[in-house]
Amino acid sequence: MVADLKRKRIVPLQQGVALPSSPLKPLSAPPLQVEQLTLQLGGQSVLQALSFTLPTQGITSLIGPSGAGKSSLLRCLNGLENHWRGSILVDGANVRHWRGGWDQLRRHIGLIAQKPVVFNASIRANVAFGLQGWRTRRRAEALIEQSLHQAALWDEVKERLDAPATTLSVGQQQRLCIARALAIKPKILLLDEPTASLDPRSKQLIEQTMLQLAETMPLICVTHDLEQARRLNGQFIFICDGRVIEQGACEQVLDQPQAIETREFLRWNVCDCD
Amino acid sequence: MRLRLPLDQNFFGKGLVVLLAVPALLLPTLVLCYIFWQAAPVLSWGFVVGATESAGFGMADGIFPQLLGSLLLAVMACVIAAPFALSTALYYRAYASHRQQRLLMVMFNMLQGVPPIVFGLCGLVVLVNLFSWGVSLLSGAVVLAIVVLPLLVLNTLAALERIPQQYSEAGAALGLSTGAIIWRLWLPESGINIMTGLLLAMARALSETAPIMFTATVFSGVVWPDSIFSPVTTLQTHIFYLAQEGNDAQVTTIAWGSAAVLVLLVAAFGLLSRMLQKIGAH
Amino acid sequence: MTIVLVLGFLLYSSWPLIAQQGVAFIVGSEWYPFESLFGMLPALVGTLWAVALALMIALPCGVAAAILSAELLPARLRNPLRFSMELMAGVPSVVYGLLGIWVLLPLLESQLNLLTGRTLLAAGLLLALMILPTIMVLAEDALRGVRQSQREAAKNLGLGWNATLCRVLLPQAWPGIRVATLLASGRAMGETVAVMLVVGSIDRIPEPFYNFLQPAQTLTSRIGREMAEASVGSQHWAALLFCGLLLAVIAIVVSLAAHRKASVVV
Repeated sequence: MVADLKRKRIVPLQQGVALPSSPLKPLSAPPLQVEQLTLQLGGQSVLQALSFTLPTQGITSLIGPSGAGKSSLLRCLNGLENHWRGSILVDGANVRHWRGGWDQLRRHIGLIAQKPVVFNASIRANVAFGLQGWRTRRRAEALIEQSLHQAALWDEVKERLDAPATTLSVGQQQRLCIARALAIKPKILLLDEPTASLDPRSKQLIEQTMLQLAETMPLICVTHDLEQARRLNGQFIFICDGRVIEQGACEQVLDQPQAIETREFLRWNVCDCD
Repeated sequence: MRLRLPLDQNFFGKGLVVLLAVPALLLPTLVLCYIFWQAAPVLSWGFVVGATESAGFGMADGIFPQLLGSLLLAVMACVIAAPFALSTALYYRAYASHRQQRLLMVMFNMLQGVPPIVFGLCGLVVLVNLFSWGVSLLSGAVVLAIVVLPLLVLNTLAALERIPQQYSEAGAALGLSTGAIIWRLWLPESGINIMTGLLLAMARALSETAPIMFTATVFSGVVWPDSIFSPVTTLQTHIFYLAQEGNDAQVTTIAWGSAAVLVLLVAAFGLLSRMLQKIGAH
Repeated sequence: MTIVLVLGFLLYSSWPLIAQQGVAFIVGSEWYPFESLFGMLPALVGTLWAVALALMIALPCGVAAAILSAELLPARLRNPLRFSMELMAGVPSVVYGLLGIWVLLPLLESQLNLLTGRTLLAAGLLLALMILPTIMVLAEDALRGVRQSQREAAKNLGLGWNATLCRVLLPQAWPGIRVATLLASGRAMGETVAVMLVVGSIDRIPEPFYNFLQPAQTLTSRIGREMAEASVGSQHWAALLFCGLLLAVIAIVVSLAAHRKASVVV
């Protein structure tokens, strides 16, 4: 009975919302919009009323001193942390009510961790790991090749797709992680210092990959490296102490920073935001 | 849009896990409660320290002789096993080559895998008959010592391994000999942890029944063994014989009572070792 | 060295029997000590059955409890669960025997309408209860050993809880679970008094062989029951010692298999 009543009450409402061209979800809704995001971990506030919006494509570099909450922000965005307050809208929809829950959200927003984590399986199996259903995984040859191409790893591993993934070098493992995330075709990709502690060649390859991907989808890249941010050349967000201090086009912020904290950070690599 | 159900696909996986785990969650409590519930009628101080054998076979008022026998056997077993275990563990850490270490490890793992009753059999053949020690306290203690030996060695090794490497290196840097390092650094440092292992071994020795069944115990009639060559009665075998005895109400309650005391005793040793471990950690 | 001594003495003592009858009696199916028939097969089959039943029950339960404790329960509830498991592991086997003979047997008789509750099933259930803590504690350690980063990497790929469990956690914890299973089966095999009280001690291969609702005999229960009756030095005595030898050899093989790679201190 109660369920019936509820359904009756909800249906008319839903009809208004779920029309084919939903008026509440305009086509121009940004792929990711963060408003007043606040996060506390263990009694300490990590993010404080943080707001920003992502363009439909291009790289957004997140810069800030250690402990500014950059990694925590990424973990909030794909739901690894979910005790935050505020709102995160993906394509105009609140992620808390994402269809299919957090797991489906994470298929929509990929996250690449700072240190590569490969599963103890073959390279092939690692790339196909995120696909659902073993039948799909078996027949994913084309997809695996495409993803590995995208991550600029194909040429190095095409001869030994069945070798254990742990035999790859760290730089290769990181690219494998990117290929693995790309195989499930996310709409947004988050990268947490993807090139920290990698050899220059892997670093260069990964940057190329990112630039290529950025032509079709939005990327967020946490980085320590200002030169890298300049090379990636997109939106620039400076975060300190859980707050957005400054944001704008990359070159503009790097060359003519407005906020005093940014200037300090760019010059001496220190920041005093309190 | 459909009504959002609270159960997603993961709900079934989690549900299955919880369902399968239910016995594991309930059984320990259930088992312990049942034992003490059954034992409640006889559990009293008089039951534990009573010793009169007047009522005949197993119908005594108390289980003091059995309790004493159990403790005596366990203590003797540990006293016999401890020097061997300690010296083996020290040899392993201080002198043994890599090859010897591996050999020792394999051997003790093997020894631990051997069922206790096999040691009981050997004890029967060698100690009781070949050495003519008879069914006696000494035979039982030696057999039990062999049963707990691997446990004791592995625990002592674990205790020694907790000593940081720099510690021994600092000692060696001072020009101490290996013997001095053992005496003045290792033993004081890991003494408490070794004691912990000893207590666990006691608990193990207390709960073994099979190996002493033929080697050390008789059903009743002994209050205090005259010498190490006379048989004893123990709680474990007492319970066992009573269980075979039948369904007489008095027998049942005495058996449950003895079981409760035994469980308490073993748990006490376990808890004691846990407390020691905590002290040692500080 | 001890191990060689132990095996040596057992072999030496059971030699009279082997010398007289060869080793064919291992697969004989008749055990009548007074007619000098010492077939080991019934007890062997009984032992295997009891262990297999125990594993069939305890393995799913134990691993599920380990998953529950390692993945689902908050830390506050974890320790009491583990503590209760350790307590249960510490309960002496003879006490389990009491539970078996005065709780489990009547229950089986009334529920399954059996003439006697003393069956392989009873032994299997009792053994399952006894090895449950071993399996759970070791499996939990193995699951905890899986790195947190692996869990998060799986989550980042949008894998749900089920998929993470089946494709990341269990495969990685598998070596630990395998060791747990082998150690537990070794323990179940060597368990004497509890089994002896409930298994029925009838030297017969179950008829048909998959019928676990019949009384049977295990190696340990035979030794426990008949050792006191056999006179020293007789053939019966030698045969029982040979049972012990057989048991020791099987148990050692199992424990070697368990420790083959990982050296686990239990």
